[in-house]
Amino acid sequence: MPTLLLDPATEPAILAGFDEAVLETARQGENALLQAKRTAAFEACSLIPNPEFFHEEYRRMDPALFRFGNFKRLDTLPESAQELREGDDAYDAVISVNEKGYAILKKPDIEGFQLCSLAEAAAADPDSLEQLLGTAVVPDQQRKFFELNSAFWNVGFFIQAAKGVTLEKGILIRYELEEAGSALLPRLVLQAESMASFSIDERYTSPDGVETLCLSTHELHLEAAADVRLVSLQDWGSDGIHLGEDWSRVKRDGKVSLFNMTLGGKTSKCTTGCDVCEENANAYLGGVFFADGKQHFDQKTLQFHSAPNTYSNMLYKGAVKDHGYSVYQGIIQALKNCVGVDAYQTNNNMVLDSTARADSLPGLIIDADELACSHGATMGNLDEEQLYYLRSRGIPEGEARRMLLLGFFDEVIDRIPFEALQDRLHAVIAEKFES
Amino acid sequence: MPDFETDSNLVQDYKYGFVTDIEQETLPKGLNEDIVRAISAKKEEPEWMCEWRLKAYRRWLKMKEPTWAYLDYPQIDYQDIHYYAAPKVQDPDAEMDPELAATFEKLGIPLNEREALAGVAMDVVFDSVSVGTTHQEMLEEQGIIFCSISEAIKKHPELVKQYLGTVVPPGDNFFAALNSAVFTDGSFCFIPKGVRCPVELSTYFRINAADTGQFERTLIICEDEAYCSYLEGCTAPSRDTNQLHAAVVEIVALNNAEVKYSTVQNWYAGDAEGKGGIYNFVTKRGHCRGVNSKISWTQVEVGAAITWKYPSCVLEGDGSSGEFYSVAFTNNKMQADTGTKMIHVGKNTTSTIVSKGISAGESANNYRGLVQVMEGATGARNHSACDSLLIGRDCSANTFPYIESDDSGAVIAHEATTSTISEEQLFYLKSRGISEEDAASMVVRGFCKDVFKQLPLEFSVEAVKLLEIKLEGSIG
Repeated sequence: MPTLLLDPATEPAILAGFDEAVLETARQGENALLQAKRTAAFEACSLIPNPEFFHEEYRRMDPALFRFGNFKRLDTLPESAQELREGDDAYDAVISVNEKGYAILKKPDIEGFQLCSLAEAAAADPDSLEQLLGTAVVPDQQRKFFELNSAFWNVGFFIQAAKGVTLEKGILIRYELEEAGSALLPRLVLQAESMASFSIDERYTSPDGVETLCLSTHELHLEAAADVRLVSLQDWGSDGIHLGEDWSRVKRDGKVSLFNMTLGGKTSKCTTGCDVCEENANAYLGGVFFADGKQHFDQKTLQFHSAPNTYSNMLYKGAVKDHGYSVYQGIIQALKNCVGVDAYQTNNNMVLDSTARADSLPGLIIDADELACSHGATMGNLDEEQLYYLRSRGIPEGEARRMLLLGFFDEVIDRIPFEALQDRLHAVIAEKFES
Repeated sequence: MPDFETDSNLVQDYKYGFVTDIEQETLPKGLNEDIVRAISAKKEEPEWMCEWRLKAYRRWLKMKEPTWAYLDYPQIDYQDIHYYAAPKVQDPDAEMDPELAATFEKLGIPLNEREALAGVAMDVVFDSVSVGTTHQEMLEEQGIIFCSISEAIKKHPELVKQYLGTVVPPGDNFFAALNSAVFTDGSFCFIPKGVRCPVELSTYFRINAADTGQFERTLIICEDEAYCSYLEGCTAPSRDTNQLHAAVVEIVALNNAEVKYSTVQNWYAGDAEGKGGIYNFVTKRGHCRGVNSKISWTQVEVGAAITWKYPSCVLEGDGSSGEFYSVAFTNNKMQADTGTKMIHVGKNTTSTIVSKGISAGESANNYRGLVQVMEGATGARNHSACDSLLIGRDCSANTFPYIESDDSGAVIAHEATTSTISEEQLFYLKSRGISEEDAASMVVRGFCKDVFKQLPLEFSVEAVKLLEIKLEGSIG
């Protein structure tokens, strides 16, 4: 059977701005483990062909849109002085990142909870970090951007929660870019030991009209019965480009919830993969995207079942209007002998006007029997009957349309564990809808 | 839980696997411009047809074999195939070769019109040539043309010129280009304006000679307000080597016309070890050109070692509709990558897709389908349901739908499920005293019912039997 991996090219594949000289700068002054990992990732990355328009994966998003030539990798970010802001008291921990540096503004004083930069984590306990770097990835997957980030990341964090550690309010991570031409490559590695539980709220912002590139990766390791929720909101300005590749590995009875909210920016291509690798592990993937104007979003999900009796559920909801273009592609894969798998994949799309376009490519790859895997995909516009009902109750048409659209997205948004973020999402969606 | 392992010894032999010992006339192996010219000459074709073939051949030389399908088969050597094989005719006026007639008796296809099933007109294609068409006179009275494509090229060149290659252009894909260059026979149906074809039109394809490829080409045209129902059946002998079948089927439906196309594909699928079998690479496409026209595909795919087949509808006329009903069964080492394409161009066009995949043994069964709504196809509606049933631990079932919507007025819904035979259903049936194997077979029949009921009666009965034979030994 052909695999999803692209054929390794004979020529090394290097993207503009990410060559050996830049790798050398990235390696400078780092500890031996991180240096070795960067080199290994660079080599792996060179063997994977560059994304090309004719590859199946990029047929619906021309890699030329990533505009690598326009950006320069920011040097590895130093620690810098920043201040807490209004609203930060709603979180247990706050991290803030901009072009000048990063700051861990707040940390909970709980025994067994660790939050630090990757460099600190590597200095403190290189052996255990080595076990975590790059090991959540499902083998044989096309992972150019993951390797690229692993070789060139310029800001990295490590979060570790020991057995039973629970954070009440969660962690906020802010990424803010302001200068045109900056390429930020954030990397987050986290490990939740058995029964640990916490949530992360991530925001990406930039001003309108400033061209920025962000290539992020998240790597999540969940031990037995751990429960982690990660919400990423791409709230970029009009010219942000976002590439992402996230992987999680969930062990026995663990549960991961990954929310991908793509609303801002110009181009976004994200892959969210999870491997439920031990019995009774569970994954929830939630997505909201809304493309208008010149926006072009491509979301990919991978629900990988490598053990019997594992569960996953995915719900991606999208809307497009005014020349916007959205693509959803997803796969549920159940390996041989993985019986008792229960997996679901739903993608609902609203095509709000005829200049916009939405593509949906759900998929099932099943190599085991005695399981239940299904997917559903729909395309349509706001329901006329529902509109009529609301209007008959005296609600003006515009208001009724907005209510229906917000209601459509709420199925995902309601599951987000941060109230402030829910409010922000509602505001952005309403604003986009009315513009 | 019952053990659903496959016991290949129990699988009933492929009863169409015999070889007819008949004198053959074949062209040498290999493909080049001379072979294309020779095929054209054998068919006594006019010059323009030969040119058309050569153009397709030159186009093919520049094309690459597609690799995107989820199939795994060794490289095909296109120079190691006979592109033309025909039963030798000693005396053109004599009756059909008794050996050949016996073959078709054995297959259950009486060519003698008196004995033929009332209500079915039949064209029979043996390797590269059509060996007989029934009911022609009766059809002619109504203005219906039903003959082999070679005959149509000679007798009705203006119609062939007008429609051939307009739905599937010669450069459409690798296999379509190959077919356009070397196609040998197939059926031609023309239903004039306002005529409802009173009988089912049917073609039976048989591959007999070793190391040959069969390249059928079928063209069906329904003028305004016309209707026809077309059936196709296929078998081949059991041989250790793989044989290639690359067909092109084109359907044109004008205003208010309706075409129903049904296939029961039962090519030899190879033995339990995956040795031999037909490689079935088929391009089938219907074009709803007129308003309110309708094209309906029904397929029951139970044979062939490799199946690569996507019967499609281009819904151009306003209000036109397309349907696709499919049962694809794979067992042992068979692989199928099949599905459909529904392309909505006109306003208020509708399409329905019902696909049922059953995989047993070590087989792989893939559904791949496209639903595309172009800008301006306001009011387009599609509903797709793709279900897969897995029997045994070593098989796989994959679903790859592609949905593209460019219009805000379109409503598309797609759902797919993959599961095994429900234990509860089995338990219920067994508690009523039905043996496990019968119970499983009943569940499978029920699973396929939505598709079988679309088939014409005789085919429907045959399809149920065929599936039962194929399932034998897979369950229990």
